Formats: sequence, structure tokens, C-alpha cells
Amino acid sequence: MVEKGRISAFQMGRMIYLAITPTAILTTPAITFKFAKQDMWISPIWAFCGLITLYAVFRLHAIYPGRNIVQACEAVIGRLPGKLLGALFLLYYLYLIGIILREYGEFVVGSFLFTTPLIVVSGSMVLVCAIAVRGGVEIVGRFAELLLPAFVTLFLFIIIPIIPDLRVPNMFPIMANGITPSLAGAFVLQTWFSELISASFLLPLVADQKKAKTSVLIALLMIVLTLVVANLATLMLLGDITGGYTYPFLILARYINLAEFFTHLEAIFMAIWVLGAFVKICVFFYVTVLGAAQWMNLSDYRPIVFPIGLLVTLSSMWVAPDLQKLTFSISTSVTFSAMTMFVIVPMLLLCLAWVQKRWRGTAAKG
Amino acid sequence: MDATKRKAVFALFFLSVHALCLTGCWDRTEVNDLAIITAAGLDLTEDQQLELSVKIYLTSSSSTPQMGGFSSPNSGGAGLSVVRSATGLTVADAASKLQQLISRKVFWGQDEVFIFGERLSRQGFVEPIEFLMRHPGPRERSNVFVSKGMAKDVLQLAPPIERSIADSLRKMAKLQTGLNITMKELAQMMGGKAKAAVLPMVEIKPREASQDAFAFINGSAVLKNGKMVGRMNKVATRGLMWLRDEIEYGTVTVSPENAGGNVSFQLRRSHTKLVPHIRGDDWSIEVRVETWDDIVENATDLDLSVPKHIEQLRTALEADIRQRTEMALAQAQKEWNADVFQFADAFYRKYPKEWNRNKDRWDAIFPKVKVRVEARSVISRPGLIGKSPLIPNQR
Amino acid sequence: MKWTAVLGIAALLALMAAYEWPKTKGKKEKTAFAAIAVLGGLLASWLVFYPETPGPTQCLDALYKPLVKMIENLTQERSG
Repeated sequence: MVEKGRISAFQMGRMIYLAITPTAILTTPAITFKFAKQDMWISPIWAFCGLITLYAVFRLHAIYPGRNIVQACEAVIGRLPGKLLGALFLLYYLYLIGIILREYGEFVVGSFLFTTPLIVVSGSMVLVCAIAVRGGVEIVGRFAELLLPAFVTLFLFIIIPIIPDLRVPNMFPIMANGITPSLAGAFVLQTWFSELISASFLLPLVADQKKAKTSVLIALLMIVLTLVVANLATLMLLGDITGGYTYPFLILARYINLAEFFTHLEAIFMAIWVLGAFVKICVFFYVTVLGAAQWMNLSDYRPIVFPIGLLVTLSSMWVAPDLQKLTFSISTSVTFSAMTMFVIVPMLLLCLAWVQKRWRGTAAKG
Repeated sequence: MDATKRKAVFALFFLSVHALCLTGCWDRTEVNDLAIITAAGLDLTEDQQLELSVKIYLTSSSSTPQMGGFSSPNSGGAGLSVVRSATGLTVADAASKLQQLISRKVFWGQDEVFIFGERLSRQGFVEPIEFLMRHPGPRERSNVFVSKGMAKDVLQLAPPIERSIADSLRKMAKLQTGLNITMKELAQMMGGKAKAAVLPMVEIKPREASQDAFAFINGSAVLKNGKMVGRMNKVATRGLMWLRDEIEYGTVTVSPENAGGNVSFQLRRSHTKLVPHIRGDDWSIEVRVETWDDIVENATDLDLSVPKHIEQLRTALEADIRQRTEMALAQAQKEWNADVFQFADAFYRKYPKEWNRNKDRWDAIFPKVKVRVEARSVISRPGLIGKSPLIPNQR
Repeated sequence: MKWTAVLGIAALLALMAAYEWPKTKGKKEKTAFAAIAVLGGLLASWLVFYPETPGPTQCLDALYKPLVKMIENLTQERSG
């Protein structure tokens, strides 16, 4: 086994939660509003891709225990096609992590550190993540475990002081045009939900397998809950102009003024965000590295961490020429490609594997 | 042993390198290098240029009080400030020209007050608001005002009670003698369905004998489609605030029939609810106002410990509320056709389909909306005395 | 200026190698490291000189163009 470390089911749940939520609360409220208007808080509930992906992950793991999806590819469709598909998968992960890193960098530079070059911000994050990833899955798991309470506390620290300024009428009329607006708003969220595929890579490494399923499902529930709360708060504060801002949740943090004492809390938002992004990038980075090491049949993934880190940084610079294009792509082609790679492909693999199993089963019997 | 030592060295090296980066090297600015703006004013000059004036708060370690340029020679209160102005084609343009006049980097983070001059307001607001929303510096929670005359003149004032004119205006807004509108709320109103907005107006009470000039909030500016179209006086503003559910403090004086005097109430709590109705082509709104008041002064010959009299007072109070709101309504509906009460939103929330069908005709519908004000007041307490020992013959 | 960037990249690669090379046991691992590092270095240098090279996003955008157009039409109808 390339990775000798093991994580607990609990840690895996936390890793998954932090692997999805931070960037989701950053940019999605604005995009969701454009499609769903005042139903935007209902959108996160339509987490279809999350459920489908998780189903595929767990069933595949049941058929091929101990293997993640890249390894399962080879078993299901043969060595050469499997290797090709696996490579495509890993390249897509590299692409996605580039987008995530770019999103992170653009936010930090655009809202706080205007003159700092993007590469400094991205590069330093990659460096720190590389060091963590090099330590192994246990390190990343422990980080997630450690940082989750901090993330949740800071999140509440932003939501609770803003309550006096929230206007409930902003959320009416509910479902005026039926389900369609919230579904349309949910479209872009499917990218994030399909990122649950990362569970496939973590599942083989969980020590207490029985609890893994519950842990991940709870994580999904928490993700949906967090997004609903974030969207609802943003909607109730900003109302009609929610879609105008690129980072509505940041505006929320800036608006807090409790007793003239709790003000200028956007620094807290930045803190949540960096913490969250750190864990997210660590998880994705780790998955990429582990997947690559297994694909190349290496005995250890540690040597390739830094070179892949370089590729990741490059990927983030290369994915889009500017922020507008990035946002546009995220709300369109990235959603499609994520659904293809992370939902459709795993389901197809699952179907094939299932058919194969039955076929082999009957062949063995017959 | 050797490997661990090397690891330790590397670890320390990485950490120290990162410590350098923690301060955000590129974007670092020392506090001494910042010009902290507490209030900003925008005016339109004679030749249609935007003039941006800012009030810079001088931290104690900086210069001596007297400075040349456009400063106010008198520093009231504890803080020292200075006013600088520059003109430009856009707000950002003016801001950059302003930077040329100041030795420190202009810092918007503490700017809590924006004042728009009257001439600029009549010309149009949209451009400056665009800047304020887009630029990451100015804050969404800052208060916005319209000034009678030039905003620059308001900034020059140095009121005695507070540290700066910014604090002074902001606190007055908070006291809700007039409206209290933040930038976010203004943006919402302007971008909302009604396309109409209101802002508190600031007026300068000129210098009198032994008293310096000071600024106070008097009335409101009514905006339609981003331009100022009219002004509401204090009384109408109160009516406006009733309808917008923004009344928090206030004293109401009524003169009940056959009472031979006045009674004054202090408002303790108030709640306004807008209930829209659409019946065919008839659009109407029912305004339900509920207030809780205490009596603070009784100069009538009514004995207020008698419940029947309280009833009488209640009726008078409710009539008063109705009168004020109707004044505001008349002005908004008939004079300016500006839906400053956000009736549009109320209709949308309850009747989304009808609203979507008619939203382009709102300008035609709004003046015809029938508004019925129903006030219900509860007089909670008569203050500390019941039957006044000072006025004889109270019945 | 651009050449300094390339030098910087080379320096970075050298640093990585200096740290990792002695540690990696196994020929396979060493080759993997070298391959990815060199690939990274080449790509980085290429992007220094031609930053406008279309990236994977453009490729995927082109691939999914028809679907994107469909979505755009749907949203135009509703939000208009």
C-alpha cells in the first residue's frame, strides 16, 4: 500500500465537510441568486449530485474494497483503458485544484491584498499544503479535525451578530414561480456536490469502515445546512442586490455592527476562508498525489508532492486569464465537466462493475 | 540524529521565511502613513465636475493644529481634523486627484458618513453610488445624507459635543429624529422595485452670537430614479417614518377636544405593518400601526386617572398619527410619484404574479393606490403622577 | 525580466531536488519525481513567455459549448 496511514471515520467526515464548504459559501450565493432570486436558500437542498456520487462511491467500494475509484477503473474496464481513464481523472483533479486555488487567490488579492502578486498568495498556500500533504493522510485528517470547530465557530460569529440587520420579508414570496428557480440555482452548486467523489479516495484509508457511511452522510447534511444558512442570511440582508456583489458573504461580514463594538469583522471572514481553503486544497492535493502515485505504481507518494505542487500552482495561473472568465466558466462548463467526471463516469463504472459481477457470478455458477 | 537535525533546520527555515510573509509585505501600510477619512462629501461644481471633499482625522502623533489649505481653523472637541477637496470627472478620478494633495495614503475604512450636496443630488446619484459599491474601500454600513447646499460646508464644521462631524451626524441619524439610511439600504432602494429612495437631509444652523455653527438633520430628500425630486419637511418625514416602520423615539403632542390644553406622549414602541390588497384593478394598502406610549405631560383639565379620558386621548393620538402619515403619503403619491415606502415590495411579496404583469406600469399605478391608515395605540403608563396636584378642577 | 523568471523556476526546481533527491529510495520514484518536476519546469517556462496560451478551461468551454448555449437560452427566458 502506498499510504500506510489511517484516518478515523470521524476525521473523514470532517475532511469532506471542509473540502466542500469554504469555497461554496464564497462565490455561490451570488451565482445562485442570479438564477433563483429569493428562493436561493432552497437551492442547496437539491443536492442530487452529492447523493448520486456518494452512492456510486460506496457501492464501488463494496465491490472492490480497499480500492479508490482510480484503481477500480483498471479492474472494471481493463488495464489500458483503465489507466487512460484514471489519467483523465487525475488530470481533471489537477485542473479542478487549479480552479480552487485561483478562486482563493483572486479573493484574497481582490478584497484585501490588492497589490500583492497573485502568485505569491497562491504559491505560499501551495507550499504550506505541500508540507502538510507530505506528512500523510493522518496529518491532513488531523488538520481537518482541528480546524473544523474553528471554522464553525467563526461562521457562527459572522451569522449571529448580523441577525438584527436581517429582514425576513426579503425571502418572500417563497416559490412564487414553483420549483424551477431554486432548481436552476442549484445547478451551479452541483459542482461542489459532485466533489464528494473525493470520498472515494479517503474511504480505503478509514480505520473504522462501518462508521464511514454515516460519517460522510452527516457531512453532506452539514454541508447542505451550512449553505442554506449562509444563503438565507445573505438573502435576508441584501435582498435585491445580492446578485450584484461578487462575494455577498463578505459584505455580510463587513456589515456587522453590534453595539458599535463588533465591527470590521471581515478579517474574521478572511480567517475562516483561509482556514477552510487550506483544508480543502490539502484534501484535493492529497487525492491528486495519492492517485498519481498509485497510477504510476510508486511505493511512496512523498517524493512527488512538491513537483505536483508546482503543477498545481501553474494550473491555477493557467485556468483563466481573468476573474470574469473564471466566474463564467465556473457557472457553466466547470459544472458540466464536474458532473461528467464525478457523477456520470462513476455511475457508468458502477453499472459496468455491477454487470460484470453478476456475469462472473453466473459464469462461476454455470 | 543527523536527519532529524536537518529536518529541524529546514523547518525553522521555512517558518522564518513565512513569518516574513505574514505581515503581507506587499500591501503593508503603517498607520502613520494613512490619512484616515471620517466623512466624505460629494458636490457638483459650477462647471459640472464632481468635487470630492474629505474630512481627515489627524491622529495625535501627527501635525500641529493649524494647517493651510481648506482646513477649519477651529478644532472643537478633542479631535483635530482637516478638510481637503479635489475635482474630477468621476468619483474615482476625483479621489486620485485628492490623493495628490495629501501626504498620506487615503484610507476609506473608517469613513462612516457620506454627504451628497443638493445640486449633485438633483443631477443624479447613480455614478457616485456605483463607485461606493464597487470600490472595496468604502463601507456598506456608512450613513448617507443629502445636504442643503454644499456638502463641503457641512464637512467644515467642528461640532462641540462629538469628536467630529462624522460622529455627530451618525449619532443623530441613529437617534432617529430623521431617517437612518446606510449605503447598503440606499443601494437596495435604488436598485429595488420601486426605484425610489429617501435620505435624511442635513442642514446647517448658522453661527449665532456666542454659538458656533452646527449641523443637524432636518427633513428628508426624496429621490426618484437616482435623482432628487423633492424635499419633505420634518413633520412629513415623521409620517414617512411611521409608514416605513422606522419610528423608534418620538414625542407626540395632541390637543383633545373639550380638554382645554395639550397632552404629550412619549413613544415607547411602534410597529407598522403594510397589508396590500389587489381586487381587480383596485390596488390598495392597509397600513396597520401599533404604538405603545407613555404620557409625559398633561396640561389639560382632564384627570388622566379616569379610564374614559384615556380613551379620548387614544382617539386623539390615533388621529394625529393618521394625519402625519397622510401628509407624507399625499406628497409622495401626488407631488413626486415616488414610492418611498416600498409599497412595490409589499405588493410583490403577496401578489408576485400580478406584480410581474404590471411592474412596468408602477409609475401609473402608484399615485392611485388607496391607502388606509389604521392606528391602534396603547397608552401604557401615565408617568409618575396620576391626577395632577398642580392643576385644580380636573374632571 | 522573463529570463529571471525562468532562472527563478530553475532555482525552485533545484531546491526541490536538493531536498527530495537524497530522500527518495527507488529508481521508479526518482524517475517519477524527475519527470513531473521537469514537466512542471517546462510548462512554467512556457507560460512565462506565452501566458496567453489557451488553457484547459478554453478546451472544456469549447467542448461543452452547445450545452452552455442551451442553459443561456433557458435563463434568458426566465430572468428577462
